Amino acid sequence: MFKNYIIVAWRNLLKNKTFSLLNIVGLAVGLACFILITMYVMDELSYDKHNEKAERIYRINSDIRFGGNDLRLAVCSDPMGATLKKDYPQVEQFVRIYNSNGSKMLKKGTAFIEETKVAHADSTIFDVFTLPMIAGNPKTALSEPNTVVISKSAAEKYFGTVDAIGKGIEVNDEQHTVYKVTAVIKDMPQNAHFNYDFIFSMDNVEYGWGNFLSHNFQTYVLLQPGTDYKAFNKNFKQVIDKYILPQAKQLMQINSMEDFARTGNKLEYSLMPMLDIHLYSDRFPELGVNSSIQYVYIFSAVALFILLIACVNFMNLSTARSSNRAKEVGIRKVLGTGKKLLIGQFLTESTLMVFIGLLIAIGLVWLSIGYFNNIAGKTLGITMLLKPGYLLFLLLIPVVTGVLAGLYPAFFLSSFQPIAVLKGRTGKAFSRSNFRSALVIFQFFTSIVLIISTIVVFKQLNFIQNAKIGFNKDQMLIVNGTWALNNNADAFRNEVAKMSGVKASSFAGYLPVSNSSRNDNTFSTEAVMNEKNGFNMQVWNVDYDYIPVMGMEVLKGRNFSKEYGSDSTALIINETAAKMLGFDDPVGKKLYTLVGNDNELVSYTIVAVVKNFNYESLRKNVGPLSMRLGYNKWATAFKVSATDVTALLKNIETKWKSMAPDMPFSYQFLDDSFDNMYRAEQRIGKVALSFALLAIFIACLGLFGLAAYMAEQRTKEIGVRKVLGASVTSITTLLSKDFVKLVCIASLIAFPVAWWAMSTWLRDFAYRVSISWWVFGLAGFVALLIAVLTVSSHAIKAALTNPVKSLRNE
Amino acid sequence: MIKITNLEKYYRTEEVETVALNKLSFEVKEGEFVAVMGPSGCGKSTLLNIVGLLDDPDGGSFLFNGIEVAGFNERKRADLRKHNIGFVFQSFNLIDELTVFENVELPLIYTGVKAADRKVRVEEVLDKMQIMHRRNHYPQQLSGGQQQRVAVARAVVNNPKLILADEPTGNLDSSNGNEVMQLLTDLNEQGTTIIMVTHSEHDAKYSHRIIRMLDGQTVTENILV
Ligand SMILES: Nc1ncnc2c1ncn2[C@@H]1O[C@H](COP(=O)(O)OP(=O)(O)OP(=O)(O)O)[C@@H](O)[C@H]1O
Ligand SMILES: [Mg+2]
Repeated sequence: MFKNYIIVAWRNLLKNKTFSLLNIVGLAVGLACFILITMYVMDELSYDKHNEKAERIYRINSDIRFGGNDLRLAVCSDPMGATLKKDYPQVEQFVRIYNSNGSKMLKKGTAFIEETKVAHADSTIFDVFTLPMIAGNPKTALSEPNTVVISKSAAEKYFGTVDAIGKGIEVNDEQHTVYKVTAVIKDMPQNAHFNYDFIFSMDNVEYGWGNFLSHNFQTYVLLQPGTDYKAFNKNFKQVIDKYILPQAKQLMQINSMEDFARTGNKLEYSLMPMLDIHLYSDRFPELGVNSSIQYVYIFSAVALFILLIACVNFMNLSTARSSNRAKEVGIRKVLGTGKKLLIGQFLTESTLMVFIGLLIAIGLVWLSIGYFNNIAGKTLGITMLLKPGYLLFLLLIPVVTGVLAGLYPAFFLSSFQPIAVLKGRTGKAFSRSNFRSALVIFQFFTSIVLIISTIVVFKQLNFIQNAKIGFNKDQMLIVNGTWALNNNADAFRNEVAKMSGVKASSFAGYLPVSNSSRNDNTFSTEAVMNEKNGFNMQVWNVDYDYIPVMGMEVLKGRNFSKEYGSDSTALIINETAAKMLGFDDPVGKKLYTLVGNDNELVSYTIVAVVKNFNYESLRKNVGPLSMRLGYNKWATAFKVSATDVTALLKNIETKWKSMAPDMPFSYQFLDDSFDNMYRAEQRIGKVALSFALLAIFIACLGLFGLAAYMAEQRTKEIGVRKVLGASVTSITTLLSKDFVKLVCIASLIAFPVAWWAMSTWLRDFAYRVSISWWVFGLAGFVALLIAVLTVSSHAIKAALTNPVKSLRNE
Repeated sequence: MIKITNLEKYYRTEEVETVALNKLSFEVKEGEFVAVMGPSGCGKSTLLNIVGLLDDPDGGSFLFNGIEVAGFNERKRADLRKHNIGFVFQSFNLIDELTVFENVELPLIYTGVKAADRKVRVEEVLDKMQIMHRRNHYPQQLSGGQQQRVAVARAVVNNPKLILADEPTGNLDSSNGNEVMQLLTDLNEQGTTIIMVTHSEHDAKYSHRIIRMLDGQTVTENILV
């Protein structure tokens, strides 16, 4: 029986080649999108799951508000982890990770290489996280100073062998510490929220240990099985009262946490499940680039919708064609075939088609995975499909999709009354089925929502590109790591500044793009600091040239100047800080801050207010910021105007090599770094665009088939109308009108949905575009145009046919 | 009104070439009622299509009201057709999705008559064809005779000078057939020229003259009146 089903199904497939082709291509493209996106989503959901104790690992987050400035930190103070472990038996273990400036210079052979996948960690890291060792003892690996655990790749890179235990790696710090390799671990997986090649001993971190008020360590705790972390969070109040308040009292005049809170301040700690970090954490500083659950939802919805569009095509084309098959059904029924058998037949046919579509889809996935990885920023491999669970899922797709897509046509066809069918009385009954109209509306609804989303994402990206960010990011060359030149830093800067094509220069340790150095300090408006007058603010050490070179605008007062001897205590604040302070004229007012290790209170005089510039991404509002004179030579900025940038870079590199032969030369252009902040958005833009195009393509395939069918169905009518004098235009209009109506309805439904979705997305940005009406107009118009072009080719063909031909077949 | 000389029409299908009209000549004067008869496949419908300006001949001359129309393009033919010629088919060829009223209204829409005028004229012909009470029915709700009356109404609503009927009674029983023949005769008496293809000698008797065809040529012409 089943074999007979398949044979008949196969013959039917071959008999209607165009129809089968449209159907299978649509399905294949839809399935390919679906598979790609499920791979993406599975990867996103798999983050950190490889840790055996994943469910029990939590990160300590800090939420601080001080003087109106909010800090949402992924770090906490250095003694916090140990304190929790000491006082609370629920805490089985803790580990701290410290990566202060994100990179280290390591010596390989005679030259130094900049390594970015580096961190310091407690030796307990191996108790908490699962980091399988190829060689070495996890119990002792990091328990002594000057030890380092490296990954397999790092071992091969530096020593040409995995067998690296006992070997030394020199780091270009002040002491030129040589670290001993104590263990080699497997490379960390890509789907983890941190990824290191070098884990150095925590003992080598130079730090004012035991300070509860500085938040600098990513701290993870491993809770005992069965511990409720939300209930555990209540213990932090106790910790604050017992350990933090005494230190705060010493430093500032803070008497109780109640007083502190009453003045609008906040100090809160909480545990965050490690498994949530990748998709839910957007704090500072994160150890890797996190994603967002929002994007997982968006992608999943898009996957589902594209699959649905493909299924809808299938249903549409199958039911449309059903009148051609009505006769077959009628005859089968007259011959006594039961309804069940007919349904079985049709479902077999649809499943067979989906199966063929699936095979093609897998081919398409294989072809496009590189492109997809590129736009989605992933490293997915086709081998992911071979996991047994996924394989089963893949095999389920044709069954589910086949049944889903075949069910309606199956019931539709099998319920024909044989007499009516044989009398040929079905053609009209469903040439204008409401159900099919609804399906077409659904397809265009999805396409239009995707078109609008794409336009809005690109509008926002364009807005970001051209936003008035308060500084000039163009033609700004930043040479990194100039601190390593030591005393030569000034000479280097001056020599480069003299080169032709370089207009100006400034030391620029602090840069107005995210993931640059930051320095948050506590200030007060009075000489005695307390919870009422204290507030937190960025304070950047800059030189005389920084503000003009960066193109920042002084609104009130003056830039630092050598003409004023006292400028070492001068302070320039931004508009946000000025507003927060509430002075009518801030220039001339004094601010106090704690300086140095012994927390000496120093006074500064405000000499200028600078126009707000966006030093973090446009997602965030500009926070309070101040600048004071100082030399942070971490990096040096050069304003260039060279036509031949490559040659200029070559010259600068030569100069660098002559001053620091064993240091790598590394540079960035500020506008590139700026763009990097919006990688995620650019990705979303490209993904939305790709899938919008595919959705429209699939929808058009369906429309194409449908229009062909409609034109065929109405051959006689068109013939009659032509005999009566209808023009080609009027016939084309007649045939396209129905589809145009459907697209219009789809637009009307899509507009509010798209508006809602994109407003939600835009809300993430403190600085954003508005969604103007023309976006909707454009999207609707594009959809309409595509629909009309698709349909009208058939319509025109039908309209041009000599009526004699169509009427002859009567 | 119609003068045809040495009209030729071929159909080429892959290897075979069919000569549907072979140097056919005849003339129809204004006000005449002509029947065309002949065995199946002799080219009657082909001739009617050419006379009805639906198709283009491959050779010969076709004068319509003194104008040479052989070689006219599609647009010109359509223009001439919709103002001057009405069609009645064996299988009625009404549009299933439109009501009786809308079917009859169609030719007026295509000749650009205003809506208000259309209503008056459609109702007038429906009345004349005694089908007014069915104006809101769909074709499938009507009997064959009624459908053909609607088709005749549609053919005459534009007041064409020429009506072409291809086996108008072929799908009807004799009483319905006679009714339709009577309608055509009445129209002819009011001055409309009619060319009708038929297989029925009975129907042919309603006409003034019978043109008999064989293999794409005229054989005889019987004058009946
Ligand atoms: N489109 C076409 N392609 C090929 N041959 C055609 C075509 N139309 C007509 N013919 C051929 O031309 C010849 C004349 O056809 P026509 O339809 O005019 O015959 P008829 O006299 O109307 O016949 P009937 O009485 O059966 O309607 C026939 O041999 C037919 O097969
Ligand atoms: Mg014929």
